[in-house]
Amino acid sequence: MISVSPTTANAQALDLANLTEAQTALEIKDLNLYYGSKQALFDVSMKIPKGQVTAFIGPSGCGKSTLLRCINRMNDLVDICRIEGQIDLHGTNIYGRSVDVAALRRRVGMVFQRPNPFPKSIYENVVYGLRLQGIKDRRVLDEAVERSLRGAALWDEVKDRLHDNAFGLSGGQQQRLVIARAIAIEPEVLLLDEPTSALDPISTLVIEELINELKSKYTVVIVTHNMQQAARVSDQTAFMYMGELIEYADTNTLFTTPSLKKTEDYITGRYG
Amino acid sequence: MAEEFSLSLAGSRKRLVTDKLAKYGVTTGAILVLTALLLIFVYLLYVVQPIFESADIEKQTTLNVQSQGKTLALGMEEQNEIAYRMTDTGLVEFIALKGESAGSVILQNQLAGNVTAFSQTIPSKGMMVYGFDDGTIQIIHPDFEVSYPNNQRFIEPSVSYPLGESHLTIDESGGEIKNLAFEMSDEQAGIAAVMADGSTVFMALTAEQNMMTEEVTWTQVSTVLPDAPAQVDQILLLPNLRNLYLRSGNRLAIYDISDVDDVSLTSIIDINATGANVTKVRLLTGASSLIVGNDSGEISQWFEVVKDGSRKLTLIREFKAEAGIIDIAPEFFRKGFLTLDEEGYLGIFHTTGDTRLLSEKLSDKPLEAVAISPRANAILVEEPGVLSLYHLDNEHPEVTWSALWQEVWYEGYPEPDYVWQSTSASDEFEPKLSLVPISFGTIKAAFYAMLFAVPIALAGAIYTAYFMSAPVRSIVKPTVELMEALPTVILGFLAGLWLAPIVEENLPGMVMLILGLPIGVLLAAFIWHNLPKSIKQATPEGAHSLILIPVVILVGYAAFSLSTPVEYWLFGGDARKFLTNELGVDFDQRNSLVVGIAMGFAVIPTIYSIAEDAVFSVPKHLTNGSLALGATTWQTLVRVVILTASPGIFSAVMMGLGRAVGETMIVLMATGNTPLMDWSIFQGMRTLAANIAVEMPESEVGSSHYRVLFLAAFVLFVFTFCFNTVAEFVRQRLREKYSSL
Repeated sequence: MISVSPTTANAQALDLANLTEAQTALEIKDLNLYYGSKQALFDVSMKIPKGQVTAFIGPSGCGKSTLLRCINRMNDLVDICRIEGQIDLHGTNIYGRSVDVAALRRRVGMVFQRPNPFPKSIYENVVYGLRLQGIKDRRVLDEAVERSLRGAALWDEVKDRLHDNAFGLSGGQQQRLVIARAIAIEPEVLLLDEPTSALDPISTLVIEELINELKSKYTVVIVTHNMQQAARVSDQTAFMYMGELIEYADTNTLFTTPSLKKTEDYITGRYG
Repeated sequence: MAEEFSLSLAGSRKRLVTDKLAKYGVTTGAILVLTALLLIFVYLLYVVQPIFESADIEKQTTLNVQSQGKTLALGMEEQNEIAYRMTDTGLVEFIALKGESAGSVILQNQLAGNVTAFSQTIPSKGMMVYGFDDGTIQIIHPDFEVSYPNNQRFIEPSVSYPLGESHLTIDESGGEIKNLAFEMSDEQAGIAAVMADGSTVFMALTAEQNMMTEEVTWTQVSTVLPDAPAQVDQILLLPNLRNLYLRSGNRLAIYDISDVDDVSLTSIIDINATGANVTKVRLLTGASSLIVGNDSGEISQWFEVVKDGSRKLTLIREFKAEAGIIDIAPEFFRKGFLTLDEEGYLGIFHTTGDTRLLSEKLSDKPLEAVAISPRANAILVEEPGVLSLYHLDNEHPEVTWSALWQEVWYEGYPEPDYVWQSTSASDEFEPKLSLVPISFGTIKAAFYAMLFAVPIALAGAIYTAYFMSAPVRSIVKPTVELMEALPTVILGFLAGLWLAPIVEENLPGMVMLILGLPIGVLLAAFIWHNLPKSIKQATPEGAHSLILIPVVILVGYAAFSLSTPVEYWLFGGDARKFLTNELGVDFDQRNSLVVGIAMGFAVIPTIYSIAEDAVFSVPKHLTNGSLALGATTWQTLVRVVILTASPGIFSAVMMGLGRAVGETMIVLMATGNTPLMDWSIFQGMRTLAANIAVEMPESEVGSSHYRVLFLAAFVLFVFTFCFNTVAEFVRQRLREKYSSL
């Protein structure tokens, strides 16, 4: 059976079905998503609590990444994608007519599966989001770089070579740089799409520790293939299967006493 | 176990063979490509190399000859088989130079009378004139008749008398002729002579042919030159009988003799270098230049230059021999000359090349005379009692580094200049083989083509790769690439015969179109941006680009229909005249604007195709990364996509430039091929490639012109080689910097 990390286990379990508005970061309501004529998400509804780590697990193709990408509207880039339903970010529907997608993405940061630093220096990578907003003040940028790199536990490793090309970093460092880049613009929500799947075990460990620290400031939503990872880092876990949200509970409960047979089969490794 | 092992080997043997075959096949191909490239290089250099070789002489024969009297003139016929010698005793001798009878006198002709003066015409005329002590002169011409008995060349020398065998009386009083000069053309002859009394007389003779008997009679008019110097050392008469030079010591008196009845002294100039005395003056072939030698070994070239509206004999350039000059022999058809100096050195010079090609000591004994053969491939040098024949190897004296790449002061030009003018109808033409104007033309044509092509091609590529929807892209990209297959001869043809007249007639419209299109497009974009969302969202994906089609048509129509009114309003009805008269800008119908558009059109597909691939291959995860940080599509494009694609975009531009530099047909047909050095957009140009295409068919194989054209090809090769090397180098650096994962 999967062991649940003590910090998570000891945390006060929230009543996920009846979160107050103040406790809720995101509320997904009856979300249906179609790729052309093929439906990929079926009536997904859930509330994601503020300042906690929520993990989406499930077998390949279950729609967990698709659901994640709905939260910062990255699916808009797919021409044939059509979405019904709504997602509220702190009470505002992000699919509303007046929403500026770029502004939304500033509030909902995202880190992808593969490290994707830009072909620029470490420094320029971190301040990229700030420069987009037209911030030019050197002092502000310098401060943001140090704060973000410290926040991503990378500062000590790169502080002497901030102006070197980011491609000189290792894969794990690159992924932390990407996280630093995402938190530099101080988003409210941070989406992590299988952030460690391309990394070695030691880098993975460092990132996992980092995720634990990040939740003090940001609401973190993580998609992972790795159930141990979900158990280690998350407070809540949602199990998805074939585009449907099967079970959503606090991590401890889901991994120790799953209420549904499908969930149990998956977490005990019967399929997936 | 053993059997299994051999089986697995048998399986791998086939793979091994295929592997080896592929390896050697690929290697062979690569080596062949490199070899072919190298061979082109080597062949170009092989053809070009002789033009940089210096002159070389090699002694062929030394002949002992009985000398009677002092040699006044020495010469050879074309085949270098027979030499002739004129002495101060009035003896004309023909001496065999080759064969069994080498050294013997074939023909001798003793002129009657006591010789007091002697002169010769320019070498290509080959006439000599003797003056006698009874006031008469005689003009002689050594003739050579070539026949082929028994299929063998036989040359028969003879002496002819162009103005009759009987002496021509100059001084009726019968005093001696002290000095003289003679020149003649078909119908005119001129004689200048210094009389016994010290006066200088110019006599013009005009030929008249009797219709019945076809007998030619010469009528003569003579006049005494006013203010002639008392002491005349040398008389030089120009073959066109317009000017006469009298050298008295170091001064030259210049007379205008174009009208015999009104001969006037135009000017007197000093032609000596400081502290030296002039020893000899000769006319260079073409008779535009004077070559002045002095006793300190300096040789100077002078010709008339128009300055402030008047013609003035000007010192052009100087050469240095080893010691004082005793004889100067100009070449027959090129702007070169030979010198003999007091220390026995032979010097070979060329004026256009501005160079001393050879300086070699021939003898310790004093040399008397030097002659160059009409074909400039042999030299005859006389010492007392000895004639030496040298083979001369001096094929390309006019091509030197300075003549190719530096400003050269050509005969008749007001100042040194870069000029390409390789041929003319005249034999005495000075070839002007400066590669500067045509290299400049190449760069100019490429510059204007790139000015037109780069913005359009790159903007198109970025739009197609980054903004266009996949179905539209799959139509647009192959269509643009298809443009590349259009033969450039068709583009050149259209540019020269269709576009050039349109541009000329609608010049204001054309300028308005070029300015109006970007403005119109930006304006349309601005209006589109401010349209209500409902209309924008109603537009189907990929139709955005179609909106620009009416904009382009509208701007084009407006520009051309406004062309004539604007021309009347601003330029008084004729923009061309306005340009020329008011602004002083010359306008060629086939100009850089036309070439820029036509060649730009040819270059666009190259740049577009490579740049589009580069932008399209920017990884999606990079653009997504940028978008996820709240960047707009435009910000992502500018800050991430173009940066990442920059090596590819740079390559695309350089490939386009390489194509523009090497392009031939379009510039050939649409530029007018005028080798000018002028950045003006309304002037044409001549490029290296077009120059080769135009002139190669008419150049004589092995001539200087031919080899210089090969050199032009080599320069073109070096141009593209440099562009590509720099491009590859920069691309590698960029790729190192901006390579994406």
